[in-house]
Amino acid sequence: MKKLLYIPTIVFVFLLASSCNKKLEVLPQNNATPDQIKTSADVQALLFGAYEQLQSYSAFGEQFMLIPDLLASKDQVDWVGTYASYKQVKNKKIVASNSIASSMWGNGYKVIGICNTVLDKLSVVDSADKATVEGEALFMRGTIYFELLGIYARPFSDGNAATNPGLPIVLVPTYKYDSTKGKPARATVAATYTQIISDLQGAIAKLPSSNGSFRADVYSAKAILSRVYLSMLDYANAATQANDVIVSKNFTLTDTYDKAFNNSVNSTEDIFAIQQTSQSNVGTSNQGLSTFYAPNQGLPVGQTVGRGDAQIDAGYIVYFEAGDRRASFVTVGKSIAGADGTYPNKWQQFYKAMPVVRLAEMYLTRGEANLLSGGSVGGVDPLDDINTVRARSGASLLATVTGQDFVDERFRELGFEGDRFWTLKRLKLNVDGFGYDDNKVIMPLPQSELDVNANLKQNQ
Amino acid sequence: MRKSIYLIGVLVFHFSTLSAQSRQIYGKIIDAKDHSSLSGVTVTLKGARGNALSTADGSFSIKAGPKATSLRFSYIGYEDLEVPIDAGSSPLVITMSASQKALSEVVVVGYGKALKKDITGAIAQVNAKDIENFPAPSFESAIQGKAAGVVVTSGSGKLGQAIQVNIRGISSISASSQPLYVVDGLPVTTASMSDMTNDDTNPLADINPNDIESVEVLKDASAAAIYGARAGNGVVLITTRKGKAGQKTVIELNTSHSTSNPARKWKFLDAKQYIRLMRQAAVSDGTYDFTNNISGYATVEDGINDFWDNVYKPVLDQYSLGTKWQDTAVNSNWQKQLYHHNAPSSQVNLSATGGNDKTRFFISGFYNTQDAIVINNRFTRYGARFNLDHTASDRLLFGLNLAVDRSQLNRVTNDDAFSTPGQLVAQIPISPLIDPATGLPNARTLYPSGIYDALYDFDHQVTFRTIGNAYANLKILPTLSFQSEFGTDILNLTENEFQGKESQDGAGIGKGSLVTSQSVTYNTNNYFTFTPHIGDEHKLTAVLGMSYLQNNFEHSSASGEGFPSDAVKNLDGATNITGAATSDYKYTFLSYFLRANYSFRDRYLFSVSDRIDGSSRFSPAHRYGNFPAVSAGWVLSEESFLQHSSPFSFLKLRASYGLTGNSEIGENQFQSLYAVTNYPLLPGFSPSQLGSDKLRWEKSAQFDAGLNFGILKNRIIGEVDYYHKHTTDLLLNTNIPATTGYASNGTATIYQNLGVMDNKGIEISLTSQNLTGAFKWTTTFNLAYNKNRVGDIKGQIITSGVQRAVEGQPIGTFYLQKFAGVDPATGDAQYIDSTGKKTTTDYTQAARLVAGKYTPDYTGGLTNTFSYAGVDLSVFFYFVTGNKIYNGGGTYMTAGFYNGWDNQTVDLMNAWQKPGDKTNVPRIGYYYGSGADGASTRWLYKGDYLRMKNVTLGYTLPGGALKSAGIKSARIYISGTNLLTFTKYPGDPEVNTNVVSNIAGGRDFYTIPQARTFTLGLNVKF
Repeated sequence: MKKLLYIPTIVFVFLLASSCNKKLEVLPQNNATPDQIKTSADVQALLFGAYEQLQSYSAFGEQFMLIPDLLASKDQVDWVGTYASYKQVKNKKIVASNSIASSMWGNGYKVIGICNTVLDKLSVVDSADKATVEGEALFMRGTIYFELLGIYARPFSDGNAATNPGLPIVLVPTYKYDSTKGKPARATVAATYTQIISDLQGAIAKLPSSNGSFRADVYSAKAILSRVYLSMLDYANAATQANDVIVSKNFTLTDTYDKAFNNSVNSTEDIFAIQQTSQSNVGTSNQGLSTFYAPNQGLPVGQTVGRGDAQIDAGYIVYFEAGDRRASFVTVGKSIAGADGTYPNKWQQFYKAMPVVRLAEMYLTRGEANLLSGGSVGGVDPLDDINTVRARSGASLLATVTGQDFVDERFRELGFEGDRFWTLKRLKLNVDGFGYDDNKVIMPLPQSELDVNANLKQNQ
Repeated sequence: MRKSIYLIGVLVFHFSTLSAQSRQIYGKIIDAKDHSSLSGVTVTLKGARGNALSTADGSFSIKAGPKATSLRFSYIGYEDLEVPIDAGSSPLVITMSASQKALSEVVVVGYGKALKKDITGAIAQVNAKDIENFPAPSFESAIQGKAAGVVVTSGSGKLGQAIQVNIRGISSISASSQPLYVVDGLPVTTASMSDMTNDDTNPLADINPNDIESVEVLKDASAAAIYGARAGNGVVLITTRKGKAGQKTVIELNTSHSTSNPARKWKFLDAKQYIRLMRQAAVSDGTYDFTNNISGYATVEDGINDFWDNVYKPVLDQYSLGTKWQDTAVNSNWQKQLYHHNAPSSQVNLSATGGNDKTRFFISGFYNTQDAIVINNRFTRYGARFNLDHTASDRLLFGLNLAVDRSQLNRVTNDDAFSTPGQLVAQIPISPLIDPATGLPNARTLYPSGIYDALYDFDHQVTFRTIGNAYANLKILPTLSFQSEFGTDILNLTENEFQGKESQDGAGIGKGSLVTSQSVTYNTNNYFTFTPHIGDEHKLTAVLGMSYLQNNFEHSSASGEGFPSDAVKNLDGATNITGAATSDYKYTFLSYFLRANYSFRDRYLFSVSDRIDGSSRFSPAHRYGNFPAVSAGWVLSEESFLQHSSPFSFLKLRASYGLTGNSEIGENQFQSLYAVTNYPLLPGFSPSQLGSDKLRWEKSAQFDAGLNFGILKNRIIGEVDYYHKHTTDLLLNTNIPATTGYASNGTATIYQNLGVMDNKGIEISLTSQNLTGAFKWTTTFNLAYNKNRVGDIKGQIITSGVQRAVEGQPIGTFYLQKFAGVDPATGDAQYIDSTGKKTTTDYTQAARLVAGKYTPDYTGGLTNTFSYAGVDLSVFFYFVTGNKIYNGGGTYMTAGFYNGWDNQTVDLMNAWQKPGDKTNVPRIGYYYGSGADGASTRWLYKGDYLRMKNVTLGYTLPGGALKSAGIKSARIYISGTNLLTFTKYPGDPEVNTNVVSNIAGGRDFYTIPQARTFTLGLNVKF
């Protein structure tokens, strides 16, 4: 009788136990695992993930524009915010543990990692899509290497590209972590440029002339490549790439300057732009260009409220003549910390497409490159190129044009879009009181990266 | 089975046959105090073999042979009793008294109970009277300073916030260091489920402190290893009240009212001082500019005047809104605005307890509302508990512990939000509170006024919680029982947030969100308890069983913006839905455990235990962990050589060694993962985690040696422990190169089992009954020392802001630029450079160096209790020493305007002004100020403090007067908490902003101080 009682209980317990054993298998429910990346669509999904990383505040959503502009802030940007990391950049007192230094680096290599994975898995992609997918991956990888190189390394223009340290070049994906491997050293600036050109040329070879409304196409790659050549002072090639974009007729300048910004989708002059919606965006309270460039206080109800931490420097307006509509494309307001100022209207609204490269820049690049190289790519006089851009904004048409005119015009047209920094460095001009190749006007390699990769050497 | 028990009996003792002269002795066993029947009392024959247990109604029956001389009655928690057998005495009425000796207290252990004197592990016990009526939402606050080696840190005076509890130091770097909480056998959910953008909240606040009978903290491996894999940080066992058999029903009413105010505040400048400091800053900037020929002023006065007229004065003009700041027409105390003056709280708790031989019960209901000292922060809850035990037969006992409750937490934003009330201190004193132009709260302030957020925003977090555990206990044999328990912990949380368009966070458009979370844990424990009677001198208890726990967590959220007005505050009012998400997680634990306790002559105590745990958190190859423990004790006072002459009325030496584990790293950490990305029209994947299928349990091996003693007939009892906890295979979230492509927020990490950590310490507890006459005076004291050291972590750098885990240093070390005072010639802040010997005024050249830690060396509590003729008084002090506090707000509030026009702390009045000034406050100035570039030890302070935590004065009314009213007893009391604080820290030293973390701690960032609370209470029993 008593045995009858406890034998079933023991049996019950062990039955319960053995049935539980299977319950220790728990699959992730909110994420995919690598073995679930199997089909052509899966690999393309991964590629699309890279676009999201380009949208990040650590890339074109903010820092690829704002950080160069804070480094080359003179006559352009004032920083009146409370974030110490940005203030360090503005004041050229950047410590290696600065969080911006690590976030741009980390996000950049994440894009590179995704592109490497996509390229590694190309064999899975349907033949109809293969070339485009490959081209987009190469485009994004090359573009990221180019942006990071300018931000973390000395410029090509200083003549020591063959010895100056550039970036670690990573071309294969990491699937499993091995502490004994995966610690790349910096390639030289020249070697990094070689990789960038190879990626962008590869992209041009693979990409279609049109790729949906906003995925990268061949002109996206050509536009970025024109920047690459320009920064290398290779004016002939820069002009050629810019000219290819212009003559494609795929893009036209918006009829007024203001229409080039704050659009829900690409404007007619956007060659490549970042898309945003209310559900997918770079951020509205602590991150994103609009967060920093939209004022915080003193606004009519309903207008975008940002932090207003970045303001237009009083010196900027001096560059404009009366009647130039670009000068009045500003908003007056107050920062979150109470500072009065004016703000560029380019970045006043959340959830809008953010131009990465616009057609106007191609005119300026072609014109300046032709002027400086004495070439005539496209058969257009540099004066006509600069006047094309000026005319749109109601600025007087120039009768003659100099190199300095192009430098100033780029500043007027492309202010707050991250361009000034590149122009000053290319032309070996003073950057915020520092020499163009001073380490104070590039970002330090992130301390967190140096800590885990003994092969990396800090800028010095 | 039964045969084998007999066999043991045969082997150990001489077998004596029952003779014809045997006779039956029977009777009933009752409690001396309330005459309730005692069931389960062990009745043993002396002089012969034989034993029995009393039944549910307290009756017993035993056959005594002729050699039997007496009966011995023993029952946990009661004094042993020996009664001689003489003829014709049946039926006997045996009256047993509850043990008076503190060392005979019953202690709840994992899967059972034990007498404190038999325990060979380190267990701290906190009783109901220390917990009930404590003016804090959650019971952990009440055990602060009451248990040696249990460090309870409440980070702020905000209500409902997570509380950090560390038992014997922090033994993990990346995994949780919080203990396992078990309520009546059921492990409960303790992780915050709150909105990720705000501070963690505390799910333990759903347990009504007044329902708690006792809290046991299992500290060493011997005590905790029965909870194996989850016991690496210690275990907190919470036992709720139960009814007793034969007890008259007691109805108890507890009610109290409190008012609270901040215990300690930072001192900020008033209007006059602010204006003076502004003027000084203008002088400073003008002089610096002139001296260094920056703007090319002709004279220094030109420079000063230019700065004053064009930089400083306009600020005063602008924010004074036309009031005459020159005459200090306005002197606003913004700090005062963030506090709820005399914040009220009240609680009512009504319970009934009683029972008979068959059924015992405890029922309670409570209502509690508390206003925090900070505006807009309130915690309200109500709930009920029903604990039932039913004796169905001599064999079968079953019961239920069930608690339901609803709580609502009205929250403010976290400390680093501009909108949080704590940041109102940054507003400037010449800024009027009310705008003279509109008559409304001033919206033209330096920073957007948090007053508007307080007026138009809300964040309401409503929790429904059901914790229930049913059990059945079957006596298979008198010596063998089987207990089966099934419990669930269901936690439903809804968080509703709204930010009106008038407020800062509403951003002119109005924003709202709704978050719902559901956590369902179910747990079953099934175990045999075997207590063979193998003679008077041997005691053996063995437990063998299994346990399975599963938790499902579901989370959904939606957010929207574009509210036309404040009329509709839920998401129906949002014209643009900006996000919606759902997610779910699951984890499981499967465990087998066994334990055997053996004692010989109550002198030599041995215990072994083992637990095998499997968890879904690790890959199949590394899923199971084995966690054994052994311990031994020697009760010297039972030895003849100590029994008579020694001063010790009790003396026990004990030692234990064992393994415990930790797997608290969240789900799916061993897997590589891709997260879904939502770039417009391009749904995609992006790598989010690099996994390692080699990941396995973090293990702590702990050695403990201790002694328990009683002197002067146990007038003084004490306990001393030494421990060394060595944690290996740390579950370390290690940094790896971001070039792998797995970075998030700038760094890429992977969980690896890497590194070791040590915690060594000493704990002392003493209780002394100084006076025991009509005037009673008792002192209890505890002191704990803990030394933590991060061992070899293979050069990994694990950082959290200004703190990190540094090899060879304690965890939570501040790793900071060292401020080396002010250069008297220039007023520049100086820092130690990378040579470690020289100073530099260039902040970017300052080296980051080890600068102390946030964890204390010593913690302790001292309580003195006095009572005389119905009056009782207790005074409780708590202290910590050896820790540092970092004021993260220092770079704004103590920056001399370098980082903005924020109101400043009063110490700025000592800033450097002219060459030769000797001060530790560098030159101030909006343009050329110094020392405020970033983090440094300038904002690091000693965190030692001594706090008069609680004083309670009570009066118990004389019984006679109340009897006619049907009242058994009544006590009124007043108490005060945080009445006095002794510290060098300028703010409240009991501080930690928004994080429960291992590395980050001791940080102040506009954090709300602790409350000083006065309570008036009444306790009546009917």
